Amino acid sequence: MKLIFEKSIKDRDGYSLPGDLFKEIKIEDCLPEYAISKKKKLLSEVSEVDVVRHFTKLSKLNYGLDDGFYPLGSCTMKYNPKINEKLASLNNFTYAHPLAPEETVQGSLEIIYDLNKLLCEITAMDEYTMAPAAGAHGELTGNLIMRKYFVDRGDKRHKMLIPDSAHGTNPASAAMADFQVVEVKSNERGTVDLTELARLMDKDTVGLMLTNPNTVGLYDEGIKDIEKIVHHKGGLLYYDGANLNASLGIIRPGDAGFDVVHLNLHKTFSTPHGGGGPGAGVIGVKKDLIPYLPTPIVAFDSTHKKYYLLDLGSKSIGMVRAFWSNFPVLIKTYVWILSMGPDGLYNASETSIINANYVLAKLKKYYKPAYDRYCGHECTVTGKEYKKYGVKTLDIAKRLMDYGMHPPTIYFPHFEPYAEETIMVEPPESESKEMLDKFIEIMIKISNEAKTNPELLTTAPHNTPIRRTNDLVAAKRPILTYDDELKLKDELKYKDKNIDF
Amino acid sequence: MRYIPNTEEQKKEMLKEIGVSSFDDLIKEGVPQSIRLKGKLNIPEARSETELEEKIYNIAQKNSNFYLMKPLIGAGAYRHYIPEAEKFLLQREEFWTCYTPYQPELSQGTLQSIFEYQSYISRLIKMEAVIPSIYDGASATAEAALMSLRLTHKNKIMVSNLVHPHYRETVKTYLAPHEPEIIELPYKNGLVDLEKLKILINEDVASVIIQNPNFFGGIEKLAEISEIVHSKDALLIMVIAESISLGVLKAPGDIGADIVTGNAQSFGMDLNYGGPYNAYLATKKEYIRQLPGRIIGETTDVDGKRVFVMTLRAREQDIRRERATSNICTNHNLNVIAADIFLSLIGTKGLYQISLLNTKSAHYLENLLLKSKKFEKIFDYPFYNEFLLKSKEDIATINKKLLENNFVPPLKICEFYKEENLKNVLLFAVTEVLSRDNLNKVAKILSE
Repeated sequence: MKLIFEKSIKDRDGYSLPGDLFKEIKIEDCLPEYAISKKKKLLSEVSEVDVVRHFTKLSKLNYGLDDGFYPLGSCTMKYNPKINEKLASLNNFTYAHPLAPEETVQGSLEIIYDLNKLLCEITAMDEYTMAPAAGAHGELTGNLIMRKYFVDRGDKRHKMLIPDSAHGTNPASAAMADFQVVEVKSNERGTVDLTELARLMDKDTVGLMLTNPNTVGLYDEGIKDIEKIVHHKGGLLYYDGANLNASLGIIRPGDAGFDVVHLNLHKTFSTPHGGGGPGAGVIGVKKDLIPYLPTPIVAFDSTHKKYYLLDLGSKSIGMVRAFWSNFPVLIKTYVWILSMGPDGLYNASETSIINANYVLAKLKKYYKPAYDRYCGHECTVTGKEYKKYGVKTLDIAKRLMDYGMHPPTIYFPHFEPYAEETIMVEPPESESKEMLDKFIEIMIKISNEAKTNPELLTTAPHNTPIRRTNDLVAAKRPILTYDDELKLKDELKYKDKNIDF
Repeated sequence: MRYIPNTEEQKKEMLKEIGVSSFDDLIKEGVPQSIRLKGKLNIPEARSETELEEKIYNIAQKNSNFYLMKPLIGAGAYRHYIPEAEKFLLQREEFWTCYTPYQPELSQGTLQSIFEYQSYISRLIKMEAVIPSIYDGASATAEAALMSLRLTHKNKIMVSNLVHPHYRETVKTYLAPHEPEIIELPYKNGLVDLEKLKILINEDVASVIIQNPNFFGGIEKLAEISEIVHSKDALLIMVIAESISLGVLKAPGDIGADIVTGNAQSFGMDLNYGGPYNAYLATKKEYIRQLPGRIIGETTDVDGKRVFVMTLRAREQDIRRERATSNICTNHNLNVIAADIFLSLIGTKGLYQISLLNTKSAHYLENLLLKSKKFEKIFDYPFYNEFLLKSKEDIATINKKLLENNFVPPLKICEFYKEENLKNVLLFAVTEVLSRDNLNKVAKILSE
């Protein structure tokens, strides 16, 4: 499809300026000559109609959650309720300036204050910061909190334990806090090896970052022993909430002894992914760690009956962003929790766990489970049996697209010998049994195709807007802008470029 | 529950297929009884959609009616007009509900849009490689500072204290574990003190962080700054808090910037009480391997069509884990789409005109306020659309008058700067949402 630049026609307008342009004032009287750009910066010149058609057409090249099944493991692609969007877009919220006087933003502050209470109850924590903009941002915040906690106690701990099954963000976040990352191997059941943990956990170790259920979709049944081992050596226990969708009303991380918890509001709490954010990665802590949260937090002055931003003072790690939070994401979360109530939240976790185990039960004859046990809200199977037909997990995933479904997460988690060629399926509570049956039917069909006509898979997808991409070329000769393309235009020979408007 | 299609009957049927008698049976192995929650969560019972709507509308009424209130405040968050076409297009579910574009065959809409945005930003700031989305200006500046430490293998950073105070705080937070020396570069007469810069800088400095226009709205002498910074082999990190200024101001890449970070909120993003905004982080191609975050590149598919993919991925956390250049994963992608649509709508001419208009109307207001004799200049410096004035009247009185007349008051600069001469000083911001009539009214209210 053409780029917006290729649709540009000189002097075309897509925007209406106010009539009064203060023409009596000369720009040279306002700005020094050294600062003014000599030439206009070239964007594109298109009409509003051109823009609407361009982006409508672009949107149709995407596959969204409202289009169908989206079983990406560890991503919790659940339905995004429409009422959330409406209530988050009320003018009194969207036009509020972050530095407006506190008396003018009492409504926004009330929502943040109330949401904190709800999240504390759901996870058994004592206080949340709403500042982190995403899961990894929350992880960094959590690591910095733990670091400052130990620094203040004069305790020089510098190692962080992270299971081999953890998301890549965990070690990357710990490294940003300048911790040395120590990997904890999983045992034959797919969970943390307690002997190994006990051996590694020492007085130089900050603690353990744990995802529960872990990224294979398995609950760590040794959670109580893990807690004892880490706390016994004075460490802290960090909960990666990427997989909280298996826990609502069932287990609360705070009750299980976690000291720091991060929640991805754009996963469990139904706010949309937007093609990679914005979400929110709020961090909850136990009482002793509250002073270390990023400053400020929202507090309530009961004498004057007003909400305000409370500066946490010198123990705080400081700010991790400009201003306070990704506020609309908080409203959507708040509305979702109130829509669900305690029974609805429990039902969400119960249904997603049943969904995942149902998929596992029906698929395991065709795709071997990484571990043959009941799972949490997602299941991990492998495509390694099909290697002998020349088919990889990637091919299975691409073939699913031909049947109108988004593929599951593939090649993650990855650790031998159990989790190779992995396919991680997460069918959240918003997916019906009929949808799961359809998915199972297609997966079985693909397993037959793999045996009888492997080429159909290795050349898949066939029915998508584009087909498999040359990623190596992209990395070897980076074309990162339209101007890069223009410089190479004699070398690049694209098919259909001008036909496809 | 309306968001959960499966009925109790279906769940029973599925449990049977799984081979267990009950849900408890299914999870008893994974969830030890001793930590299982006894009873229900203590949160309010479920509300219907109508009840919820009423509740949230009532809470929203506790905010001021911000739609009608024109802001005289900026300080890193600017209200600009957002064309309706942008808001409408952005809500298409294909942009709104999709995941990160790991599967390019199903994500060309997102990928091409990001590529277009990279192309726009590259032209605006004259840098070759643009990371389209770090969370915001503050975190992007912190990432740029970390990047400069990696590129130079030095451990000293110099930050102008006219960089947005929240950005400076965030830089400190991100850098704290690496225990660098952070030197604050003082200002003089509303701009970076060039003499102090010359004295303070030496070969141990990894980078110097300068914001332009600076937090006071002032226009820095970037060419001179660049010369001083580069004479000591340090990198120049340029921060832009108000990206619309790029319509009239020179591109940072043309005045010696090595790394540029920019708050893109002005490109079609609502104020939203502080977020989500977005920031770009850009550099020269030679520094590409040290960039944090995602970038989109052009290639072909097996049929030879031009297509877009996530590229240069060997820097990222999901591949490199603790050796990644950053931990950033989910970012503010939808804001990138918003900005791409916004820039497409306003186009070459629109960006220039809005930028011009913001400059002129800010100078118009300053002139009116000075004429009223109720305000005086404290610095004689060139500014873009924000400026400082000292009020002869008490600020609380001014704020009250402005709020009563539906204006969000300017920033009291003493909230961030403790200098004696900055007491009773206001930081005004003007954009195209304030008409000449609005500005005349502001001047009238404040001169009474």
